[in-house]
Amino acid sequence: MMLLLRQIIMLTGKDLRIEARSRQTLGLVIVLGILIIVVLGLGLGPEQLTNGASATATLWVAYLFAGVLVFEKTMSVERHDGALASLLLAPIDRSVIYVAKLISNLILMLILALVITPVAVVLFGFDLSAAPGQFTMIMAMSILGFAAVGTLFAAVVSSTRLQGGLLAIVVLPLALPLVIASTQMMIQLFRDGKPIGGTGLTVLLAADVLYLVTSWLVFELILEP
Amino acid sequence: MTATDLITADKQSPQADALDWVIRARGLSLHIDDRAILHDLTFDINPGSYVALLGANGAGKSTLLHMLATLTVPTAGELRLFGKRVGRGNPAIRANIGMIGHQPMLYRDLTALENLVFFGKLYNVKNPTDRAEELLDQVALSHRADDPACTFSRGMVQRLAIARALMHNPKLLLADEPFSGLDMASGRMLENLLAQLHAQGMTIVLVNHDIEQSLALAQRAIALRQGRIVVDAQTCELDLETVIQEIGIS
Repeated sequence: MMLLLRQIIMLTGKDLRIEARSRQTLGLVIVLGILIIVVLGLGLGPEQLTNGASATATLWVAYLFAGVLVFEKTMSVERHDGALASLLLAPIDRSVIYVAKLISNLILMLILALVITPVAVVLFGFDLSAAPGQFTMIMAMSILGFAAVGTLFAAVVSSTRLQGGLLAIVVLPLALPLVIASTQMMIQLFRDGKPIGGTGLTVLLAADVLYLVTSWLVFELILEP
Repeated sequence: MTATDLITADKQSPQADALDWVIRARGLSLHIDDRAILHDLTFDINPGSYVALLGANGAGKSTLLHMLATLTVPTAGELRLFGKRVGRGNPAIRANIGMIGHQPMLYRDLTALENLVFFGKLYNVKNPTDRAEELLDQVALSHRADDPACTFSRGMVQRLAIARALMHNPKLLLADEPFSGLDMASGRMLENLLAQLHAQGMTIVLVNHDIEQSLALAQRAIALRQGRIVVDAQTCELDLETVIQEIGIS
């Protein structure tokens, strides 16, 4: 167990070190995220945006598209110069590669969220003050499931010639249960003033568990050098 | 010498002791769709051998090397490495394999030293920094240890890739065109390094398009033609013309 943990930390550390040095992913996704917020914010108008449900929907769109770019970029690091083959050759369990890549993606998504959410609040006055803790919890659970499938399919798509658009086409429909469940809960929370729970939370939890376990099991089978 | 005569070297009975071979292939085949990439390959490779895999472009050399590296799974037949059957998983087998591939298998944004130390840690190498510095010295890259790999020339990247493959001191080195991109001095350095590793007991399987060089370096040659073994003999028993004729290079 300690060995697995050490290997996961090593691989995640490598990903973050590469990102810190190249700044290829974060710079790009933060700019994309802010652009999405600005464009949607201007399109919806100020009345809509003070409504918490619209605000979270806008943030969701930014997280989704920027997230797809995060998954694609972090996996492309492994495809450059055949680096993935060197990991597949190493005496490590292939699920370790998945877990490490998932953690790297989650850390980058967290940084993305920490930047674009306050930007949206400041620029457009998104009102999340009614339940900031519950908002964070719902978004964290949603992003976890999204990153679980995103990491898996980034590995699949990166071995094909149809990179770019294909990942979004595959991952965005899979994110739908997460988007619908979290949006329903946001409406419940911000418009109706009710605490989160019920079907929405169950769907979110079930999707997280299903996506995490399936991706973890399947990753080894789909990984090609 | 007939083609049958050329398939003689190191053939072992299936009952041979596990310690007598590092690689045991029995009926290895790879079919993709209806196309046979490798067809019914059977051979053993003994510990400490230096084997050249020869063949024209598309003969299946690199595919076979990938299979020996456990990166490609055969569609039929059995492959055993170090006495263990190769299947999915089995990280312990991979701990003994080093590979130099067509691509350098390095992280271009990490420095030469960081790359080697990272792989050293993955293989649980004791004192990975010391080992990395030693190898950087061997491949004449000590002066660029702290530079990112993306700033290296093709030849320097290849030398760094060689150091990466040797970082964990593998028992089996699989080298796919390791001389490509190297200038004459670096090529000679690599020839000497491979000879030195072979003298230390490392098993080496070399894929090289330069048949003459391969016959000079290796002890044994296995030549493929359209995915089948057409020559398997000691290099001292072979001449260049025969090999060229057998593998079908005009």
